Amino acid sequence: MTPKFRHSPPFLALLIFMFAMPSEAHAAKISELVEVDLGDQFVRFFSLQDAAIRHILLGCLFMGINFGLLGSFVVVRRMALVGDTLSHAVLPGVAVGFLFTMSKEPWAILLGATMAGLLGAATVSWIQRSTRLKQDAALGMVLASFFAVGICLIKMIERIPSVNKSGLDHFFYGQAAALGRADLWMMGGTAVLSTIIVVLLYRPLLATSFDQVFARSIGLPERMLFHVLMLLLALAIVVALQAVGALMVSAMLITPATTAFLLTKRMHVMLCLATGLAIAAGMLGAFLSFVGEGLVSHALPTGPSMALCAGGFFLLAFLFSPHHGLVFRYRRHLSQTRQITVENTLKAIYRAMESDRFKEEGIAVRRLAGDARETFEETMTRLRLLVRDGLATFASTRGEVIYLTPEGLQHASRVVRNHRLWELYLTNEADYDADHVHADAEKVEHILGEDQVMELERYLDYPEQDPHGKRIPSLRDTQRLPLRDLAVKEEEVEP
Amino acid sequence: MNHLIPPFDAYRVFVEPWTINLSQTLLMTSIALIVALSAALIGNYLVLRRMSMLGDAISHSALPGIVIAFLVSGSRDSFALTIGALVAGIVTTVLIEFIHRRSIVKVDAAIGIVFSMLFALGVLLIELVPHTDLDPDCVLFGQLEWLGVHASSDPMKALFASSQFQLLFGVFILTAALNLTFFKELLVSSFDPLLAGAQGFRPTFIHYAMMCMLSLVVVSAFEAVGAILVIAMLILPAATAYLLTNRLRTMITLSITHAVISTIGGIHLAVWLDCPASACMVIAGTFFFCIAWFIHTRPSRQVDDTQETESLTNSAESELAPH
Amino acid sequence: MTDPTSPSQEIVLETHDLTVAYDKKPVLYGIDVSIAPGQLVGIMGPNGAGKSTLIKAIMGLLEPAGGWIQIFGESNKSQRKRVAYVPQRREVDWDFPVTVMDVVLMGRYGHLGLFKRPGKRDRDIAMEALEKVNMIPYAGRQISNLSGGQQQRVFLARALAQESDLYLMDEPFVGVDAATESTIIDLLQDLRSQGKTILVVHHDLPTARQYFDSLILLNMRLVAYGPVEEVFQEELLQRAYGGRLTILSEVADATGEKSKVDLSAKR
Repeated sequence: MTPKFRHSPPFLALLIFMFAMPSEAHAAKISELVEVDLGDQFVRFFSLQDAAIRHILLGCLFMGINFGLLGSFVVVRRMALVGDTLSHAVLPGVAVGFLFTMSKEPWAILLGATMAGLLGAATVSWIQRSTRLKQDAALGMVLASFFAVGICLIKMIERIPSVNKSGLDHFFYGQAAALGRADLWMMGGTAVLSTIIVVLLYRPLLATSFDQVFARSIGLPERMLFHVLMLLLALAIVVALQAVGALMVSAMLITPATTAFLLTKRMHVMLCLATGLAIAAGMLGAFLSFVGEGLVSHALPTGPSMALCAGGFFLLAFLFSPHHGLVFRYRRHLSQTRQITVENTLKAIYRAMESDRFKEEGIAVRRLAGDARETFEETMTRLRLLVRDGLATFASTRGEVIYLTPEGLQHASRVVRNHRLWELYLTNEADYDADHVHADAEKVEHILGEDQVMELERYLDYPEQDPHGKRIPSLRDTQRLPLRDLAVKEEEVEP
Repeated sequence: MNHLIPPFDAYRVFVEPWTINLSQTLLMTSIALIVALSAALIGNYLVLRRMSMLGDAISHSALPGIVIAFLVSGSRDSFALTIGALVAGIVTTVLIEFIHRRSIVKVDAAIGIVFSMLFALGVLLIELVPHTDLDPDCVLFGQLEWLGVHASSDPMKALFASSQFQLLFGVFILTAALNLTFFKELLVSSFDPLLAGAQGFRPTFIHYAMMCMLSLVVVSAFEAVGAILVIAMLILPAATAYLLTNRLRTMITLSITHAVISTIGGIHLAVWLDCPASACMVIAGTFFFCIAWFIHTRPSRQVDDTQETESLTNSAESELAPH
Repeated sequence: MTDPTSPSQEIVLETHDLTVAYDKKPVLYGIDVSIAPGQLVGIMGPNGAGKSTLIKAIMGLLEPAGGWIQIFGESNKSQRKRVAYVPQRREVDWDFPVTVMDVVLMGRYGHLGLFKRPGKRDRDIAMEALEKVNMIPYAGRQISNLSGGQQQRVFLARALAQESDLYLMDEPFVGVDAATESTIIDLLQDLRSQGKTILVVHHDLPTARQYFDSLILLNMRLVAYGPVEEVFQEELLQRAYGGRLTILSEVADATGEKSKVDLSAKR
C-alpha cells in the first residue's frame, strides 16, 4: 500500500508499533546466544546461565502469577475484554505521568498509567450502571477514547523542544535493556501483591464474582472488591506492557484462565491451574523464540510465541478436557445413541416374541425389518450391535434368525418393563391418551434408573398390565427367567 | 501546560481550513466522512447485539489475512489485501462461534482468545517470511493519524481517482444499500433472533453477512484512521444514539448525525490542537456522547434483561407493523 | 423494644410511606406495612407493580426516595445479618466453577466477614441446610448439573445457612417442578413455625390462597394488606390486577385503597 499521505513521525510510529508488535528487540537479545543443537539449547536455556534468560524466566514467573490469578476472576466474571481495553486505556496516563516529572522516571509513568487504567475501569463500570449500554459498548468506547486522548497528549509532548523524551521511548519499547532489574522488581512486587490479596480475600472475591446481588445483600463490600480487582489488574497490565507489549496482555490474561476453566469445576483449582499454565506458556514461548533463532536466523518475537503457546494449551483442553472437551463429549454422545439403539432393538425382539407368546425361540430378521419398516441391512446393523454386546446370537449357519441370550432376555425384559410402567403412569397420572403415550414413553424410558422404576411400580401399586393390555414384566421376570416360564405367564394373563 | 495547547484563534481554526486549505480539508473530510458513515451504520447493529468489541477483534485478526494475501498475491494492492482481510474476518467469526457454542467458554473469552491468537499468528508470519516490502506500520495502521496532513494538495479529481477512495466509497455504498434493503430483517434479528428465525429471516446468515461488512469497513478504514480508532467510529455514534431513543430508525438517523458532527468537529479540533485528525474526531465524538449521557433519561423501570428485551421487541414489532 | 427473646412483641418489618423511584419516576409509592413475626406473607401484583423493587428496597439494595424502612426496629442496612434474600434464579452463571456445597457455604460469609475462614460449625450448618432441602447427595456437584428445581433449592439452602430471622424471596416457585414446590412450601411453613418471618413475591393467585397467612397486594401503591381471606376479595384483586392505577391521579385515588390491618396484636 503506497501511502497517500506523509509518513507519521518516527516516534509515533514506534509507539503504535509497540502496541502491535512487542519485543522485537527483546528477541534480538536472545538471538545473541545462537546454538544449533536442540538439546544443547534446552540445557543452555534452562540452566539459567545467562542473566538475560534468567530475567526472562523470572519475568514469566511473575507475569504468570499475576495473569493467572487475575485472569481467572476476569474470565468467570465474563469481563475478558477488559484486558484489551485497559492496555490501551493506560496511554494517556503514561503521557500525564511523563508530563508530571518531565522525565523518564519509571515510577511516575507507572503511577500515571495505573491511574489511567483505574479511571478507565471505573468509567466502564459507570457507563454500565448509569445507561442502557452494556459492557461491550462501554469497553469499546473507553478503549478508543482514552487511546485517542493518549495519542493527542503524546503528540503534544513531542512538540516540547527541550524535554528528554528518550525515556518515554524506553518505557514503551520496554525491551531496550531487555528486562532490567527495575522491571523485575516491579513485576515481582505486583505479583506478590496480587497473591497476598487474592489469598486473603479469596472468599469475598469468590462470592462477589459469583453473585453480586447476594454478596451485597449479606453486606460484603462488593464495589470495593471490584475496585481492588481492577487496581491489581491495572498494575499487572502496566508492568507487563512495559516488559512485553500490549498484544501479550489479552492473550496471557484470558487464554490460560479459560483453559483452566475447561479443566476443573472448582474455583481454587482453576486459580492454580491458570497460574501454572500462564507461567508454562510464558516460559515455553520464550524458549521457542530462543530456539527459533537457530532455525530462522531472524529475530523471533517472544510475545507472539508466548501467546501461541497459551493458545496451544487452550486447544488441547478444548478438545481433550475430560468434562467439556469436544472429543470426549462426542464419544459420550455416540455411546448414548448406541445404547438407545440397543435397547430399542431388544424391545422390538421382545415384542415379536411376545406376540408369538414366547413359543418360538428365535425371530426372523426379515420380520423385524418389516416391523420397523427398514431394510434388511439396516436391521442387521442394529442386530450386530446386540451380538457384539453378548445380548443375542444368530442361528448357526444362515444368520437370518436372531436369538436372545439369557442376558439379552433379561435386559429386554427390563427395558420393556420400564417402558410399560412409564406408559401406565403417563396414562393414569398425567392424563395422557393411550395412543399418544407410546412415543413419549420411548424417550423417557432409557434414562430411568432402577430406583425410579421401583418407585414408579410402587406408586402404581404393582400393576400387571399396561394401557394396551400387554403384560408388564415384573422384577423377577427381569432376573434370568427362562423363556418357557414367560410362555406360561402369558397363559395366565389371558382371560 | 500552555506550551502544549496552541492558542485558540477562531480564524485559524474555523475559517482557514475552508478557504486557504480548502482542497486539503475537503480531501480529509470526504474520506473521513465516508469511513465514519459506513462505520456508524454497522455500529448500530453491533451495539444492539452487544458485539461492540468485535470491531476491535476483527481489526486485530485481519492482520494474518492481510499478510497471507500479500504472500499469495505478491503485491500490496489494496484490493487483494482487502480480500485477505475479509477472509480473515469470516474465519474469525466462524472460530468465535465454534468455540463459544460448542463449549462452556463464554463469548467474551472466545472473542479474546481468537483475535489474540490470530494476531499473534500474523505477527509471527511477518517475522518469518522474508518480506522486505511489507512495512508493518503501513499494513497495520496505515497513516494512522496523519489523515489530513499530506505533502501535495491533490485536487478533487485525484481524490476520486485514487483507489483508496474508490474502495472506501464502494464499501460505503454497499453498507448503505444493505442497510436499506434488509432493514426489516436486520431489525428483527438484532432484537430477537428467535423471532427472526420463526419469520423466515435467517439470523445466522445475517450475522455472517454483517461480519463480512464489518471486516470490509474495518479494513478499508485502516489506512485512513487506524485500527484502534475505527472502533470508536463504530461504537460512539451508535452508543450516543442508543441513549437517546428507542426506535431503530431514529437511532440510525442520530448515529449518522453524530458521525457527521464528530468528523467535522474533529477536523477543526485537529487544526486547533495540531494533533492527529482521527484522534480528534474520536475526542469530538466522545464529547458529544458525554452530552447525551448527561441529558438522557433512563428507562422508566428497573431494567433487567427480560424487560429490556420485551420493550425492544415491542418497539421492533411496532416498526414492522404496516403503517 | 428490640428484645430478641420475646419475638411476639416486636415488629419484624415496618415501612412508612415508602417510595422508591427510578430516575425520578416512582415505582413504589407510599407503602405502609407493619409485619409481626411468624408470618408467611405473599406479595402479589401484576407485572411491573414493584414487587421485586419492594423486596430490594427492604434489603437495602435500593435507596428509597421517600419514607423509611425498619427491621427489628433498626435501620435495614444494620440488620443484614438477620435478613436473608433469595433472588430470582436467572441472575447467575451456572457454569461458574463452584459446587453446591460451595454455594451454600456462601450463606455463612455474612457472619464470617472478610477475613475469617469457615470452620466446622459453618460446615455443619451448611450440611443441615442441604438436608432440609433434600440436596445432600448433590453436595459435591458443580451447579450446572442440576435441574431447575434443584438449583432453586440450592439457593434456598444458602438462605437457610444464613440463620436469619427474616427471609425475603423473589418468585421462588417460578419454573420449578411439583416436588420442589412442595419441598419449598414445607420448608417455609417449618420456618414460620419456628417464629421466622418470610416475605415471598408470588405470581400465582390460586396457590397464594393456600400458601400464605397474609397478603400484600401491590400495584405501585399498596392496594391491600391483611390476612389472606380478607384480601382475597374480588374488588381488591380487580383493583390490583385489572388496569393500572395511575399514581399521578391522586384525586381519583383518594378513597382509601389502602386497607392496612395491624397484625402486631395477632398471636
